[in-house]
Amino acid sequence: MSGSTWRNPLFIWGAKGAAEELPSNPHSSHQDIWRKTRESKTKLLPVGRLRYYYKWPGHGSRTWRRLRYWPTRRRVLHIRGEYNPKILRREKTIVDKRPIWWVLGLLALAAAPLFTPLDLQNTAMTAGATFGIYAAINLCWMLVIGTASIYSLATYAIVGTAAFCTAWLSIKLGLPWWMLPPIGAAVGLIFGTIIALPATRLDGFYYALLTLGLNELCRVYFLTSKEFGSATGGLYGADTYVPQGASQLGQLLIGYYACFALMLLALLLYRLVNGRRLGRILRMAPEKREAFAEATGVNFRQARIRVFIISSVALGFIGGFYTANFRGVAFSIFSFETVLLGLAMLVIGGIGRAEGAVVGTLVVVFFDKVLISLGPIRLIIIGAIMLGVVLYLRNGLFGIKAQFRAWRDKKKSERRSTRAEKGGEMLPEEATEAHDKDTVYWRRYDKMQRDYLKTLVTPEVIEEHRSSPLGQHSEPLERLLLYFRRQPQVDKYAITVVEPFKAYRIVALSGHRGVAPRVVEDKVYASTAEAYHGVFLRRVQDLLES
Amino acid sequence: MDVWFVVSNAIVLASIYGTLAIGISITWSSLGLVNLSYGFVFAFAGYGAWLVAQHVSPWGPAVLVAGILAGALAGTIVCALAFIPIHDKPNFTVRGLIATLAINLIGTQSLLWWFGPRSKSLPEIFGNWKVHLGGIVLTADKIGNVLTSIIMLVAVLKWMQSSRRGLEIRAMMMNPHAASIVGIGVRRTGFYVMAITGGLAGLASVLLSQTYYIAPFGGLTPMIKGVSIALCGGLGSVRGAVIAAILLGLNEALTTVLIGGRYVLITQFLFIIAILLIRPRGIAGILDRAREA
Repeated sequence: MSGSTWRNPLFIWGAKGAAEELPSNPHSSHQDIWRKTRESKTKLLPVGRLRYYYKWPGHGSRTWRRLRYWPTRRRVLHIRGEYNPKILRREKTIVDKRPIWWVLGLLALAAAPLFTPLDLQNTAMTAGATFGIYAAINLCWMLVIGTASIYSLATYAIVGTAAFCTAWLSIKLGLPWWMLPPIGAAVGLIFGTIIALPATRLDGFYYALLTLGLNELCRVYFLTSKEFGSATGGLYGADTYVPQGASQLGQLLIGYYACFALMLLALLLYRLVNGRRLGRILRMAPEKREAFAEATGVNFRQARIRVFIISSVALGFIGGFYTANFRGVAFSIFSFETVLLGLAMLVIGGIGRAEGAVVGTLVVVFFDKVLISLGPIRLIIIGAIMLGVVLYLRNGLFGIKAQFRAWRDKKKSERRSTRAEKGGEMLPEEATEAHDKDTVYWRRYDKMQRDYLKTLVTPEVIEEHRSSPLGQHSEPLERLLLYFRRQPQVDKYAITVVEPFKAYRIVALSGHRGVAPRVVEDKVYASTAEAYHGVFLRRVQDLLES
Repeated sequence: MDVWFVVSNAIVLASIYGTLAIGISITWSSLGLVNLSYGFVFAFAGYGAWLVAQHVSPWGPAVLVAGILAGALAGTIVCALAFIPIHDKPNFTVRGLIATLAINLIGTQSLLWWFGPRSKSLPEIFGNWKVHLGGIVLTADKIGNVLTSIIMLVAVLKWMQSSRRGLEIRAMMMNPHAASIVGIGVRRTGFYVMAITGGLAGLASVLLSQTYYIAPFGGLTPMIKGVSIALCGGLGSVRGAVIAAILLGLNEALTTVLIGGRYVLITQFLFIIAILLIRPRGIAGILDRAREA
């Protein structure tokens, strides 16, 4: 609140009892409110506002060579070329860095045996081989769940059936190891076709529950059958590709690299199915939008069944490889725990991505096979990770980035909406309709000004105006009067003379030529000064009501 | 091998699995949650009953009530972990399914860790008497199983028909969104539903333990049977679940007698697949009125 001095204009005329200067009643400065409105209330953060891409230097005169790989016309990296608008120089941006991460990760896996400590070598190499096989299984499963969106839990049933059949054939007929994966693929084709049959009719959870039962059915069948060695906990003694004459380390290394190669094959399959025509078709038909896809001519059912059967064949192949790798197969492949751990691998990584399947498998296999000395606690840890991921993450570890961005954008817009001033502004629809865009800003300014002027209206100011309606006034009254006098002609108050020096009345101007002013009240004032004060009171009232 | 032996076995199995299946059905249709942690709830209830029989009293009804209460407790735990945090989040059905599976993994492994792999057995709840009825012998546990599960089921269904809370649950089954609009608390109802279905699972657990033992992973087979029955009867339909339970119990008993015990699951799944191929939403489910996740 600041006060200014009021110079009495009547003082020099020697009015009775008049003081030359009096302090005007205290009021807040208009500068304060202006400064407060203008200042930025945005909290500025130093990081996280823009997406940062490194800009590689571009070419001088020709476009750079684009490396494309056979048999497609695709490029190895998705690189965008553009001119920097500020320095007008050519720049390159790597839009999708995932291939780089893939190459680095696969190189690290390939070189991993060199860096394992000697005392851990046995455990780590065995775990590595298991990782390769499980990653391959999970990539095929990801095709079924992610690409084809068939919630099948019978993956390990297919793998196990193929593994048991090939192991049995190998033991009974003495088949060599290289025949096992193709035979497994054939078993997978038959089994996959059988369980694809209900998938044509059932959807979502009905199918998941049914396949869960099928898995249990396989477990009970193989466990109770005499042919498959129910007494020994599994079927062992099949032919293997690992040369028995080699040293233990050599055997471990051969097993590791063979499983690694299997994983690479599965990755290739994932790429071929998900990244090409079938995957494109199915991306058109996500869950709950099948009707739209169908209307546009996409036969999503056929595509789904195709993906299912392709991955069943691949799973059968993996089953045959499993037998050839471990010289047989145990009943535990059908157990509910195996299904749960497999699902944990997919969920932790994130459903619908190849990298999710591989990294999730890495995490779970690390806990399950490397920390084997922990006992049941390791499975509890895996379960807790799974639960945490499901409760807090929308799509696994690889969905964190997108989820964080969505959360940050939500917070940003929330803060923006709390910063917005209410009142005086136009609604967005109204603003686009307004012919003169200046009115948008003028209304906001006018609202601020009226808010300020309302603080100036006090009994002292009204009393001051009553005592002298014309002449020089104190600052608050002067500001009020300037604002009132500046109002447009429409509905502006005026004084009409009913009888000179005797009767005056307040009217409101129409603002249009030829249209008479309208009478606003019956009250008749005896003098001009009284009428002026009457107009002032009405305007103050209108201001306070606005 | 007379017909009546088959029928009595069928009825016993149907009543126990039906109890589980109705629990799964109610959970799905009112909460939209596919509860696959029944294996854990089942084993938890069994161990609860075993602890009471061991430390408090081996008296039959006390053990039974302890099993039901432990089941209800496990049900509320599952609800608090898997339903409350994510029931309004995107993609709830898939995430809820996986969350219950994770709870199953954690729970059964914890039980294994705590109680060890050796299985436990409960005292005989219904005594050790027999009734000769026109040539067939009905043992005490058979009669007791059937009577107890039917009484419990009828009590639950009557409660759902006549009480205020039951009305809320049924409103949730009809339309969860509309139910929440008219002021029925989704979370509170979730706790009721999970406690009741958990109690049913606990009852089934104690009843089945008259024949089998209590083990950390012993809940798996009953859960899969219950899920299959619920699926076959149509998720969300009590009447369908009852019909499916009778049919599958009959199938199980007949297969055991005619072909052999190891073919039970095969015939059962062929039966279920055949039914689902004809009616994708089960016996009672009508395609359009099924709950959309």
